Amino acid sequence: MTRIADLSTFNTVHEDGLAKLLPPRPRIAVGMGTCGTGHGAEGVFHAFSAEIGNRGLGISLARTGCFGICAEEPLVNVWIPGKPLVILRKVQPHDAGAILDAITSGAVPFDLALCRIEEWDHITAHIKYGTGFEEIPLWSDVPFFKGQKKIVLRHCGLISPGDIEEYIAVGGYQALYKVLIDGNPVGVIEQIKGSKLRGRGGAGYQTGIKWEFLRAAQAEQKYLICNADEGDPGAYMNRNEIEGDPHSLLEGMIIGGYVTGATEGIIYIRAEYPLAVHRLQSAIQQARDYGLLGQNILGRGFDFHVSLVEGAGAFVCGEETALIRSLEGKAGRPAPRPPYPAEKGLYGKPTNINNVETWYNIAPIIIKGASWFTDTGSPRSSGTKVFSLVGKVNSTGLVEMPLGTPLKTFVYAIGGGAPNGKSVKAVQTGGPSGGCIPQEMLDTPVDYESLAALGSIMGSGGMVVMDEDNCMVDVARYFIEFTHSESCGKCVPCRVGLDKSLALLNRFTRGAATVQDLAMLDELSRMIRDTSLCGLGQTAPNPVLTTMRHFRHEFEDHIRAHRCRAGVCQDLALSPCENSCPLHMNIPRFLELYKEDKIEEAFLSVVLDNPLPASTGRVCQHPCENRCRRVGIDEAVNMREVHRYIADAIYASNRYPALIEQVRARMLPPTGKRVAVVGAGPTGLACAYYLALLGHETTVYDGNAEAGGMLRYVLPDYRLPKEVLRKELELIEAIGVKFVFNTQVGRDLSLNEIDAAYDAVFLSIGTWKEAWVYLPGTELRGVIPALPFLESVAKNEPVALGKTVAVIGGGNAAIDSARTALRLGSGVTIIYRRERKDMPAIPEETEAAEAEGAEMVFLAAPHRIIGNAAGGVQAVEVVRTTLGEFDSSGRRRPVPTGEVIRFECDTVILAVGETVDLDFVKASGLKIKEAGTIEVDRYTLETSRDKFYAGGDVISGASNVSNAMGYGKKAARKIDDRLMGAHRFGQLLPEFDYDKSPPSCPSGSGRHRVSELPALERVKTFAEAVAGLSPVEAMEEACRCLRCDARNGDN
Amino acid sequence: MAHQISIRIDGKLVKVSAGSSILDAALAAGKDIPALCHMKGLSAVGACRLCVVELAGVGRLLPACTTPAADGMSVTTVSQKLTKYRRMILEMLFAERNHVCSVCVSNNHCELQALAARLGVTNVRFAYSYPKLSADTSHPRFVLDHNRCILCTRCVRVCAELEGAHVWDVMSRGTGSRLVCDMNQPWGASKGCTSCGKCVQACPTGALAEKGWCVEEMAKQPARVSRLAVIRGGGQ
Repeated sequence: MTRIADLSTFNTVHEDGLAKLLPPRPRIAVGMGTCGTGHGAEGVFHAFSAEIGNRGLGISLARTGCFGICAEEPLVNVWIPGKPLVILRKVQPHDAGAILDAITSGAVPFDLALCRIEEWDHITAHIKYGTGFEEIPLWSDVPFFKGQKKIVLRHCGLISPGDIEEYIAVGGYQALYKVLIDGNPVGVIEQIKGSKLRGRGGAGYQTGIKWEFLRAAQAEQKYLICNADEGDPGAYMNRNEIEGDPHSLLEGMIIGGYVTGATEGIIYIRAEYPLAVHRLQSAIQQARDYGLLGQNILGRGFDFHVSLVEGAGAFVCGEETALIRSLEGKAGRPAPRPPYPAEKGLYGKPTNINNVETWYNIAPIIIKGASWFTDTGSPRSSGTKVFSLVGKVNSTGLVEMPLGTPLKTFVYAIGGGAPNGKSVKAVQTGGPSGGCIPQEMLDTPVDYESLAALGSIMGSGGMVVMDEDNCMVDVARYFIEFTHSESCGKCVPCRVGLDKSLALLNRFTRGAATVQDLAMLDELSRMIRDTSLCGLGQTAPNPVLTTMRHFRHEFEDHIRAHRCRAGVCQDLALSPCENSCPLHMNIPRFLELYKEDKIEEAFLSVVLDNPLPASTGRVCQHPCENRCRRVGIDEAVNMREVHRYIADAIYASNRYPALIEQVRARMLPPTGKRVAVVGAGPTGLACAYYLALLGHETTVYDGNAEAGGMLRYVLPDYRLPKEVLRKELELIEAIGVKFVFNTQVGRDLSLNEIDAAYDAVFLSIGTWKEAWVYLPGTELRGVIPALPFLESVAKNEPVALGKTVAVIGGGNAAIDSARTALRLGSGVTIIYRRERKDMPAIPEETEAAEAEGAEMVFLAAPHRIIGNAAGGVQAVEVVRTTLGEFDSSGRRRPVPTGEVIRFECDTVILAVGETVDLDFVKASGLKIKEAGTIEVDRYTLETSRDKFYAGGDVISGASNVSNAMGYGKKAARKIDDRLMGAHRFGQLLPEFDYDKSPPSCPSGSGRHRVSELPALERVKTFAEAVAGLSPVEAMEEACRCLRCDARNGDN
Repeated sequence: MAHQISIRIDGKLVKVSAGSSILDAALAAGKDIPALCHMKGLSAVGACRLCVVELAGVGRLLPACTTPAADGMSVTTVSQKLTKYRRMILEMLFAERNHVCSVCVSNNHCELQALAARLGVTNVRFAYSYPKLSADTSHPRFVLDHNRCILCTRCVRVCAELEGAHVWDVMSRGTGSRLVCDMNQPWGASKGCTSCGKCVQACPTGALAEKGWCVEEMAKQPARVSRLAVIRGGGQ
């Protein structure tokens, strides 16, 4: 150990440090921050240590901090002289042997390699590691690190935090040396002011100005405080900074002390960070030993002492006045300002408080200058900021980006979007004091002003990503629960206001809230914000205010529909599957009834929830599976196929007529009310079925000759055989629904005539018009829209289809067209402008089409269609696209490259989406939305015309069968409510007798898949391609259910 | 004598000595800003937030008791927003604990009750918390009833700053905050309490009361305590 008192000793220590960092032999450094040790880095370190000892290898082994990518822990750095530093990911103790084998042969295990670093800019120094290993990506090419600029985290994960010499080797304490030699404190303050460095704790006050205040204050004793009481849920930037590089903090504080005239520095650190406390303690001791802290620093006659105080575990102690009280040994309660700490702070003496991260920026600014710092970031917010990117993103970790970077870069480019293909809903910044920023606003640059404009704050740097499974009301409730329990209780608005705010939010999550509660919550939140004493209370309502501002519809859903779309609020959902099902089928009930061998009751349960169980059992998009909790064990329960099986079994048996009678027995007495349903598609059928059950005289009008809409006329036979649909329609006819076919409302019958004859009218005319892209050549013979094509095939009409067909589009209509064309004997190429994973079609369908021989071309946008001399199609030209920026849907936008590819073909099927027949809608006189759909009240489905309701694709745009039927079912309930002035829908269901407790031992069997006919066989015919489950398989599926509907009897 | 500054209170120009709070200045202008935690002669804590006022050119509301008056300030002490907020604060205080005036010794002599009447608080829109709270009757002459405490900390300050005993303080946090005697001892067991009764006189509600009084009988004299505090120079 050397006490540094002059340049030569300083240089000696620097050389010693370099020799440790870049020794003449290989060096292994294990990332041992809390995140690393939490993933087992301790075991990895010991495995290396034992193995190196056993083999007697000449390899250095060190501990380092965290390099930031927490999702890949434990990280291990391997450096072989002359080669780049390689970071290995997810290293386990048993990998140690193989890694050492590789190193001794001059290589690294490539399968574990995350990235390589050839040289590193430590800002205060530049380290060249070496070159080679080009198979491993450069660190800056790894998506997680792309665009990151490490100023604060310049040393983290690279040097050993426990060794001051390594810190000095990478330029540590040079800034301090420079400041002490220069002896110009005012100049340093000017430099900090010039850098526009703003406090990284959240408030964003300029650090240089604060220092100037402290320097100007006259007192014999002044204090510097580092606020390391990081308490935001989901934020751990400061912890990792200290754990990885404690000396940068000390250096910043010593410089701060010198220029402001403070001689006493205190680090107030969270007691919950034992490793950071330990590392800091040893860093302080080392700095003292080396003459960098304490008396006569660097022999320049300047004294500065740093002590460490562990926090008392209160969030409010992050507030500066409360922190000071806590340091004084008093209860951590804030005091009013003025007086500000710069005049009267700790023990009544002038005091300056800065956040950990602020201190980390000091040395780089001193070394590189103010203008270097302002080059990074946005004009008003210079430099970088470290964020902890957590929540629903694929890559979590610490991200240091220039201020002003758009939020979407964090979420999509760095974080890789939400896991499991879910969509991101919002990003919460600033912890409990911040707010939620909706997905549509992710273009917002991350800087102090832009976030404040949206009602959020940057805060200390927590960034929590939320996806569709997060309920924003529950998020608001969570944060209020947190601040409520952390309120010090001194001032009334925060103490009582947050308590009442929480009580109100609890009413929302229980479904007991009213519209008045929403207004009250808003008023209360504003009042707490405006009148509270300290920052905690003033910012605590932010999560509520921002969610109410950006997600008001979710609050309204909880009030008006008692519905939590995300399925988080337990009191508002039976189970995740029921909550996701647009028809709200009681899925656990029919599974249990079938499991108890009561197939007839199971059928009744199914058919009273969904009149088309066999059809939907074949073609539904099964949203139920997206949230199935069985995924936590293996895969989702195949619920759709179980109700398909139950329905198929009943239809095939002689019990069907008797069961129809049982459904009829549930019908309510005739009400004498007459209701017209326009459109006999799934929406109309569902609505008519329930209206008839409720006792209303129901008539369905349709322009076609048979009922079923798209199920009948668009879905090809191989997906849904017509006889299945016919069997299901028997039930709907049996309960007295009347059909009037070949009658198009608007053409054959006016709306006014219908209006006059009925008590209510439900419009469900669907989206039958194919959207059209206007490309050169669409007028050619042989260019056909998808829906009319499928319709002609369904009606057995002749279609002129060529030998080679190009299908343009990526939705279900595109895949249906392709598979139909294959069955008609044509060769098919599907052209889609985005990536495969972005296709809206059901993935199984796409796979089936591919297996049947359809060619797939992705990232290709149609450019023009080339005709031949006869006026037919000769070829289609597409432009190759690449993936550009993320758009607001979280998908990368396709950007044309200019490369044109030509596909010879004689038919082009355009399947680019369907729209509402605008002629009808315009003629109806109903209010239309911009998208061309009918405008309705979200909760009652009432249109702008009295007595008229609308539902299905005509209000939502092209969707799918279960969504459509969901609207029909809801409309029937709302029409009945209105006609009868009472809620009678619940009376339709009988009491079912089934076990309501969770299974003590759910089946361990894996998911049963339906069996498809071999592709080559099925492609020759329109016969059903997918056989259902066998009875045993269906039973096993039912036994796999975990019964999320079961409730603890105590609650 | 400190130099004089000019400040406008609701449009009226007043001169006060430098170092005065906005609340003092308002009083000089004849404006009685509602407050419960403030007591002249004791240090200001800014806890009840009833005295928040609007200041021209400042976006946020500021507590009159802890904000120093500055030359040229223009203060609004009554506005629709301020009245709305003040009423809400009172509603919150009523909902927080069990304030049952009809059985309270301080009924008709209660500052909380009087302020509610003055600001027109006729009902409480928040759900009552109805906490189960105890009363400390261990002191021979006085009683502490937590049901009626609004945590204004006047007792804490009068005991520490004027009597010099610092018997009272507040323990725990948030809605769990409770007034405590010494280290959470029964009042009667306190070695520090001089039984001077200043805390009782300073208490704005019936939380601290003398024994032996029936409903409506506990009239207090906070003004006398306050005057004494000013004379002794306790706090500010």
